[in-house]
Amino acid sequence: MIDLVQNMLDGLAIGSAYGLLALGFTLIFGVMRRLNMAFGSSILVGIFAGAWLHGQWAAGMIPIFAATVAGAVVASAYVERMSFAWIRGDAALASMASSFAIWMQLEELVARAFPQRSYAFPTFEALPMLELGPFFLRPEHAAMFLTAAVLVAALHWLLTRTLFGLRVRTLSDSRDAARVSGVDVGRVAVLTFGLAAAIGGVAGFLIAATDGQISTKLGMWATMKGLIAMVIGGLGSLRGALVGGLVLGVVEAQAQWYLGASGREICTFALLFAALILLPQGLVGRKDTLARAEAVRRI
Amino acid sequence: MDGFTISVLSNIALFSFLAISAWVLLIAGEISFGQQAYFALGAYGAGIATAVWQWPFALGVAFGIGLGALVGGLVAWPAVRLSGLHYAIATLAFAELVRATLNVFTYRRDVGGVATGPDGANGFRDIRWVYEAGLPPGAYLLVIAGCLAGVIGLVALLTRGRFMARLRIVGEDPILAAMMGLPVARTRIAAAALAGGIAALGGALYAHLATYVEPAQFSVMTGVHALAYGLIGGLGTVFGPILGVLIDIGLLESLRIFAGYRMVVFGGLVAVVLILRPRGVLDERMMHRVAAWLRR
Repeated sequence: MIDLVQNMLDGLAIGSAYGLLALGFTLIFGVMRRLNMAFGSSILVGIFAGAWLHGQWAAGMIPIFAATVAGAVVASAYVERMSFAWIRGDAALASMASSFAIWMQLEELVARAFPQRSYAFPTFEALPMLELGPFFLRPEHAAMFLTAAVLVAALHWLLTRTLFGLRVRTLSDSRDAARVSGVDVGRVAVLTFGLAAAIGGVAGFLIAATDGQISTKLGMWATMKGLIAMVIGGLGSLRGALVGGLVLGVVEAQAQWYLGASGREICTFALLFAALILLPQGLVGRKDTLARAEAVRRI
Repeated sequence: MDGFTISVLSNIALFSFLAISAWVLLIAGEISFGQQAYFALGAYGAGIATAVWQWPFALGVAFGIGLGALVGGLVAWPAVRLSGLHYAIATLAFAELVRATLNVFTYRRDVGGVATGPDGANGFRDIRWVYEAGLPPGAYLLVIAGCLAGVIGLVALLTRGRFMARLRIVGEDPILAAMMGLPVARTRIAAAALAGGIAALGGALYAHLATYVEPAQFSVMTGVHALAYGLIGGLGTVFGPILGVLIDIGLLESLRIFAGYRMVVFGGLVAVVLILRPRGVLDERMMHRVAAWLRR
């Protein structure tokens, strides 16, 4: 019983990082109606920028955090230009293929610049282990929880209480309607892309700081986890992204504990497949608007 | 031909099966991240048939194809009503499920005093039928090329027999297709079975060339590459995905001029091509123009 709850805690912590990755995907999917396969590799660029700063000057946590987020945003800007802005409006598939190509490109560039198998990333060593009765909470995990909660609250405020948020929501509801009502579609899309990259950068930083070491495999890993969490929760829903991430985290943690690594993989993917078949609208997904359904079908 | 040329040509041909398989589904309007699963099923199925059960080669390959087509159809059956992105993730989940299962799948039998068969994550050794038959690599390349020609011929036949046209209508606009009285779901399931069979054929041939396969080879990366080949080469004809493979493996890997920076160059090239031609180099319009030019 204690194990069960402890796994649940660990799963929720890593799940909140998955949730942040899924939030990034959801934001981009919301305004672009396209899949950004290069999302994880942009985060990879950020993480390695942070690791470089760490290795070069033994910088503190705050500059490393800033470098990680900045690296992710810069790489994402490149992806946005190459795979989205310059691709014809009606070619969603081309955007997906192109972002995959950019993913390969970014990953190879990082692998060339950092040829070792893995690199060190600073951890929150100074913080003590939290004890809650019989349970333990790692300080990194606590940081993940807190950051995710704060970010989601901030994002919610941004999207529901500001003019920018209204524009994003208009755009994600209907591109045409947004354009007709005088929204600068291109600008809002770019800003949202940047926002998503920043959230991804934060998630990447937290994950890297928890593990303490990073490799070029993290890019694909982040893309897969974010994508899966988004789909489990329900496409185009911010709440869904978060819930999807938490569910994925808990399921993985429990399966890892009781079934081992290969059992976890089998269990996770079998569950994902079953969830898609039985519950295609996601855990908290609502009935899609016509425009959204059309876009989902078309991607 | 020297050994290097033969191995490059074999690789191009084998990847073409996977790329054509993903292309068939793209035509049907479905994105699949998971065709590598059928490649794996073909490899394991045919490998077990020839190495463990000692079946003849052709029968083993046929078994692999049948397995791939059957599973492809069975997976598509519930998944076919999912919309684009969901279908894509469902195929991804299934492919990873297959890979994870192969990681623990052990089936070893005593064959001539040696334990033979898949051994989980350690892979599947000694798929030696081609080697024992004394077939030189050049001759085996001919077998692979013959099978690829067979697949291209089959697609040509289906194009004549209206199946591909039907598939394109279903892919472009399923609602219109349904209004025209086309069985949308059944057409898509048939396409998925066809794609599964083609990928499995590639896998079966691959296993006998390499004599060794392991689950890690059938990762998502392989599947996404296969998908990208069709999108780069063009969705217009079956030669599109083959062109994609040629550009990637043929040009960049084999020439080795961009040693180490291959993916950087390839990625940039693909991005630029897609900006200029969103449906690939050999898209439908290009093929119409070529066809009109040929008719003159």
